[in-house]
Amino acid sequence: MAKQLGFHINSSVCANCKACQVACQDKNNLPAAIRWRRVVLYGGGGWVEKDGRWMPNGVFSYSVSFACMHCENPLCVQACPTGALMKRADGVVLINQDQCVGCRYCEWACPYGAPQFNEAKGVMTKCNFCEDLLAQGQNPACVDACPMRAIEYGDIAELRAKYGTLAEVEPLPSASITLPHAVVTPHRNAQASGTGTGKIMNLPEEL
Amino acid sequence: MNVREWALITFTILAQMSVGSFIVLGIVHYFVGKKAGEKQADELSDRALLAIGPVLALGMVASLLHLGNPLNAYKAVTNLGTSWLSREIFFGVLFAVTGAVFAVMQWKKIATFQIRNLVAILAAIIGIALVYSMAQVYMMPTRPSWNLVTTPISFYATTLLLGVLAMGAAFVANFWYVQSKNPGCASEQCVLLRDSLRWIAIASIVLLGFQFVVLPLSIAFMAASGAAVSAAMFVGEYGALFALRLVLVFLGAGVLGIFVYREAQSAGHERQMSWLAYGAFACVLVGEVVGRFLFYATTTHFGLQ
Repeated sequence: MAKQLGFHINSSVCANCKACQVACQDKNNLPAAIRWRRVVLYGGGGWVEKDGRWMPNGVFSYSVSFACMHCENPLCVQACPTGALMKRADGVVLINQDQCVGCRYCEWACPYGAPQFNEAKGVMTKCNFCEDLLAQGQNPACVDACPMRAIEYGDIAELRAKYGTLAEVEPLPSASITLPHAVVTPHRNAQASGTGTGKIMNLPEEL
Repeated sequence: MNVREWALITFTILAQMSVGSFIVLGIVHYFVGKKAGEKQADELSDRALLAIGPVLALGMVASLLHLGNPLNAYKAVTNLGTSWLSREIFFGVLFAVTGAVFAVMQWKKIATFQIRNLVAILAAIIGIALVYSMAQVYMMPTRPSWNLVTTPISFYATTLLLGVLAMGAAFVANFWYVQSKNPGCASEQCVLLRDSLRWIAIASIVLLGFQFVVLPLSIAFMAASGAAVSAAMFVGEYGALFALRLVLVFLGAGVLGIFVYREAQSAGHERQMSWLAYGAFACVLVGEVVGRFLFYATTTHFGLQ
């Protein structure tokens, strides 16, 4: 068993098709409002007038697929008053809904929006790394669904050896807050977290 | 704003008011006891003490409305090692229990004065820890408008301001209750009430000044600490409410406070003084509720949501 599971996200080839997001919702039977994996579209730039003509100026966009980062410093686990959230030996952060009190404090604490509230059940839900599929030796649903093969999972040490340690591109928050277990291969136009000139382009109901 | 957020406003305001009331009551009881004896001090404050319990209980019941799954509420004290929310609930329950033990001892005059005093001081310290942990709950890196030193300071300001004025109102109510039961017996009580109300008025004016230092600082800190969006809301979409909050607290703790002091200087104005004390408490209570509403309404999330 891996010491710490994590994801590699290849943002440089992501086409924003959202197959990972849909596969996740389908496999985990999530209500429409709950999206454990999401694809954020980040972009910016504009137009400038030059010699009477309008020219594109620094127009860019790229996509980043993200879910729970199963962090080294999971603020959700620390915040949870009942201990319903825990970090398993393989590094996966899981929630025990029987313990959850539905206070949504983990939702406040997480900078990745990973714990999400199920209004009908009154408890929190979150990405479980498709632990049932892992136990059967299969891949998480998002990994297998990606037509670009842009999501990989495995031991984070191996992923980092292969792809480097970058985990903060806009619009992801600074990695220093929770030490996320993800590696991002950045798009050629990617901007570093906290220094972005663009904004999130998704429609509110998409994200 | 929905029911869940109103539950938090109700809980934090009532719990802080209970802690403040308990501390103020203890201080008043100590000084009145020194001046006029224990019996007179008890007569002035024992009924006010019993009023604190239901206020705290109401706040704690309101906090349950915040939960999606209240049946698990009893499990919420099991992560004391890392969760400030656990600690808040722990200190809340501990304050309620110690406060209740003291109230029963004081009401039935169980044990000696010294032992009761020790229990009261213990409960007050737990109350201070409760307000501290309430503030720590909000101090997380993903909430830049809350993760400021002004959060605990303003929680303590609210605690004391509401405590002072709630007890002013409670002493007045107690005075008229005693008057109605046994008119004429209360002349000593009348003097003590006026003495207490004068000090309460002074304390409320001082605390108002403190509050009016903390408030602009908190917004300046927001603007400088990655919560500029929150800071802007205080003059933008919530400008009118923020102004209302400032006016109400100024009116209650400041203007009415001055009049309470004036009417409390000489005998014969007890009725006017009483209405002023009620009015001051009402204004500040509403002002602080609006302030707490703004605390929640103006927060922004750092990172993806």
